Amino acid sequence: MTTPIERVCVIGAGVMGAGIAAQVANAGVPVLLLDIVKDGPDRSAIARGAVAKMQKTEPASFMSADAARLVTVGNLEDDLEQVAGCQWVVEAIIERLDLKQALYAKLDAVCPPGTAISSNTSTIRLASLLDGMGESFRKRFAITHFFNPPRYMRLLELVVGPNTDAALFDGVADFIDRRLGKSVVRTNDTPGFIANRIGTFWLQHGVNTAIAHKLTVAEADAVMGRPLGVPKTGIFGLLDLIGLDLMPHIARSMTESLAADDPFHDTTRELPFLQRMIGEGYTGRKGKGGFYRLNKGASGREKIKESIGLVTGEYAPTQSVRLPDALSRDLGTLLASNDKFGAYAWSVMSDTLSYAARLVPEIADEIVAVDAAMRLGFNWKRGPFELLDAIGPAKVAARLEQEGRKVPALLRAVGEGTFYRIHEGRPEFFGTDGLYHPVPRQDGVLLLDDVKRGAKPLARNGSASLWDIGEGVACLEFHTKMNALDDKIVALLDKSLTIVGERFRALVIANDGSNFSAGANLGTALFAGNIAAWGEIEKTVAEGQRVFKAMKYAPFPVVAAPAGLALGGGCEVLLHADAIVAHAETYAGLVETGVGLVPGWGGNGEMLTRVAAARGMPKGPMPTVAAVFETISQAKVSKSAAEARAMRILRDSDSIVMNRDRLLFDARAKALSLVEGYKAPEKPEFRLSGQGGRAGLGLAVADFAKRGIATPHDVVVADALAELLSGGDFDIVDIVTEDQLLALERRAFMRLIRTGPTLARIEHMLTTGKPLRN
Amino acid sequence: MQNVVIAGYARSPFHFASKGQLARVRGDDLAAQVVRGLVERTGVDPADIEDLIVGCAFPEGEQGMNVARLIGLLAELPLSVGGATVNRFCGSSMQSVHMAAGQIALGAGEVFIAAGVESMSRVPMGGYNPMPNAALAAKSAAYMGMGETAENVARQYEISRAMQEQFAVESQRKAGAAQSGGRLSDEIVPITTKAGVIDKDGCLRPETTAEGLAGLKLAFDQNGTVTAGTASPLTDGASAVLVCSEEYAARKGLKPLARILGVAISGCQPETMGLGPIQSSRKALKRAGIEASALDVVELNEAFASQALACIRDLGLRPETVNLDGGAIAIGHPLGATGARIVGKAAALLAREGGRYALATQCIGGGQGIATVLERI
Repeated sequence: MTTPIERVCVIGAGVMGAGIAAQVANAGVPVLLLDIVKDGPDRSAIARGAVAKMQKTEPASFMSADAARLVTVGNLEDDLEQVAGCQWVVEAIIERLDLKQALYAKLDAVCPPGTAISSNTSTIRLASLLDGMGESFRKRFAITHFFNPPRYMRLLELVVGPNTDAALFDGVADFIDRRLGKSVVRTNDTPGFIANRIGTFWLQHGVNTAIAHKLTVAEADAVMGRPLGVPKTGIFGLLDLIGLDLMPHIARSMTESLAADDPFHDTTRELPFLQRMIGEGYTGRKGKGGFYRLNKGASGREKIKESIGLVTGEYAPTQSVRLPDALSRDLGTLLASNDKFGAYAWSVMSDTLSYAARLVPEIADEIVAVDAAMRLGFNWKRGPFELLDAIGPAKVAARLEQEGRKVPALLRAVGEGTFYRIHEGRPEFFGTDGLYHPVPRQDGVLLLDDVKRGAKPLARNGSASLWDIGEGVACLEFHTKMNALDDKIVALLDKSLTIVGERFRALVIANDGSNFSAGANLGTALFAGNIAAWGEIEKTVAEGQRVFKAMKYAPFPVVAAPAGLALGGGCEVLLHADAIVAHAETYAGLVETGVGLVPGWGGNGEMLTRVAAARGMPKGPMPTVAAVFETISQAKVSKSAAEARAMRILRDSDSIVMNRDRLLFDARAKALSLVEGYKAPEKPEFRLSGQGGRAGLGLAVADFAKRGIATPHDVVVADALAELLSGGDFDIVDIVTEDQLLALERRAFMRLIRTGPTLARIEHMLTTGKPLRN
Repeated sequence: MQNVVIAGYARSPFHFASKGQLARVRGDDLAAQVVRGLVERTGVDPADIEDLIVGCAFPEGEQGMNVARLIGLLAELPLSVGGATVNRFCGSSMQSVHMAAGQIALGAGEVFIAAGVESMSRVPMGGYNPMPNAALAAKSAAYMGMGETAENVARQYEISRAMQEQFAVESQRKAGAAQSGGRLSDEIVPITTKAGVIDKDGCLRPETTAEGLAGLKLAFDQNGTVTAGTASPLTDGASAVLVCSEEYAARKGLKPLARILGVAISGCQPETMGLGPIQSSRKALKRAGIEASALDVVELNEAFASQALACIRDLGLRPETVNLDGGAIAIGHPLGATGARIVGKAAALLAREGGRYALATQCIGGGQGIATVLERI
């Protein structure tokens, strides 16, 4: 039995250390952040400065202002004793063995037995760190390698040594998993562990091959990005993010310790133009620019995206690259293609995937860890072995053979089979022993993908499906582009209510996508608007209202489990659920005003109810109306689930889950907890502010317009919203029913969608993805 | 008729709303400490006090429920002392001085405390429930934002941004000099808060330069001239003056600072409410029987630099007599507390500087002005 982790210490307030401390604080756990003493009045200025900097930079390291308050700063001379009160100490100082070991000796002396100590090193092996250290320290020490930025990257590589106290670090791993929300991947004590070993190989190979094949950086990234399920930054855009100056360090640390016959050495080349760029401060996004940069145009106003010529070494405007459709759609076609795109993709990926296959079991015991590390550490949609499965392992092996190249043993061993398979409805992987084994899942992890394998949906249409996720709970999954809501989703939700009512105990609304839902499908609305099909639009609005309210008043609990975007109609789904179990990275908001509309599916009333019930609201008819008006009129989107709670989208009784993989399981558990004695909510009645409230909000909007903050159409939209939230023609003494408020909502929505500027906003959003400020 | 005198003046330090050191102090607690301080400093027998009249521009929430009575109880005034809350927006606590003077003249009491309070941190400007009359809002500027009225005055009087900024720099310089010269500390009652004792003003920015102000963003109108630097800040503060008959002061050995010679109220266009002091000052001066040129000390509330400059110009005030220790742009403007501050300050300055006549005047949202003329004793 190890001591639960209630306080953490991070030593080293650089980008990584500070970011790790922030994530601990995001988990609601107090954290002590120490760095060396700085001469001057504030001896803890380094750590204090790091926290202050994090509170300003975007993307934010902290999920809320409350989280920032959980960080205590200090310095290693005056505050070292405080470390004794922490159950886990993370070292994230400069990558120098002598300094790290000197620190470890101090920590070992001050920390009581049972305190775990770990290093965030990315370049020094565990064996080296432990060299010469005593027995007691070896037991309490391991490597916990976070990825940058620690809040957003989901991978954590854990390296334990032969003497490490397994139970102690099982506790740390559990904390990292459940509280910090990271997926713990256990790796062996090899240079670069998993993700940096394979990722750096891939990046360096990608650069070398682009030069050799005479591709532009934009062409290389177009190939290496989306078609491979890799972020669109591809090779060169990613290097700009990492920092061009950092790459040689990482590579050198690996070449110094890898065996002489390791293929990694072939990828490390002296690139004079790269040295020149670094020397001139072109270190990537943190510097003056990198392979790409934004340059001011002739007028000085517009920004032109430029990229560097790999031959000329000069910047020129980036030519956009469009791969032939067939190549971008199918990975096999791309790799088999004879053109320069296909040749580039095959050259880089065949080597990278072969390298990965060669490295199991050297860097990790099984392939599952390698795939997870590349998915979570480099945001690949599929890991190396999943990519091999997608191409066909036998095909890859045959082509390697045909080209006279070595086929890795593991690839040979899998033969005509695949690295993953579904066996009796369960996913299995191909082990190094040549047998298939179940893909391990942590307790408390339930993935919709796993459920869907080998199961049939209870109901399905082109936009959504209903699944049985066990224990009498059904799950409604959206599967449109960006999970945008359309009439089919509304229809399947309606049908699901019947099915769940007859055969299940509760409903969960969740999906495995990156985004819960980006909002209603605007394309349909624009089409209908352009042909003036106003009746059709109003019917759609009314049907959404009916079905969302049917969900709210269904005789069983409904739990919504968002992650990523939950905007507009997607947010309104949340607002109608009995409970929300949100992933910590949930970006929710009623953003309809951005496209010149107001929420049309019951969101206004639900927000009024939530805000009115919030603790600490001043009395009177205006504070609630004004607060909801502010949130909706400014199309505010939360930058975390914690912020969504501050915005009252989440109630106090709703919960936040740090680990994405645990979301569905926790949502199902929440739904089950509501089953016994479940009663649908009572219909609310509203006391709204009437004409006086509308006038008051109008004055505020006029001030905004005067200051140049609100545009002319903002004023129109805000007035429609103000009228609806203040109760239209109802007087302050009237009780407004939910149905009456829904009618007001429809009226405001229809009034706005009939305006030209609203249709222009919708069209602009559809074509550019950005709001039109008209 | 009884002569009425100002026989004492005290205020809390003034601090920025929300981010300042008084943000966590309730308005009633703040005012009670100032009232207590005034009683102790003047040595008035609290049992003689007829009434505590408190001005407050947004008397709701923690400042609601007839806060004057509550402040009297918090200050542990005798139960016999009454309490009335007065609202004339920014003119509220100058109105409490006028009411006290009127009561004394009527023979309805000999000694009063006229006070004012505003926690703009804790009760928002506009109140919690701003619900304008839609019909009135449509046809008049009754609800117009104060910043916009300042822009209107700047436009009407052709007061450039640079002129306003020069005025603001000067206000900051004077206030800074007064603070560092210890000339503000006499009037300040140290306030005990949970975080310690606060005994110094917090809004002052004596290092302000014209160049610095020129870089600020326009605060109210993208085509305008007014910035946060040429407007008074949202402020927390309380103030109080002891108002009594001259005869009472003499009998009880109090030290009166100045005699009230004339008072006035006037209404004006809501959209240029900043011009309110012009008519009200003219009326008060006339009632006092003096010309503006006879004034040695003027406390003209600086709601905005533009309106202060317009009033100085129209009233023909000598700039060297105006706001000797700086004005609201530097010191702050806790709405309900400002009137008692500038009456008390004008009286104290007369005593300190040795002139004969003083004027305290201010503009009032919705389109009014209020003025008080004092004579040194």
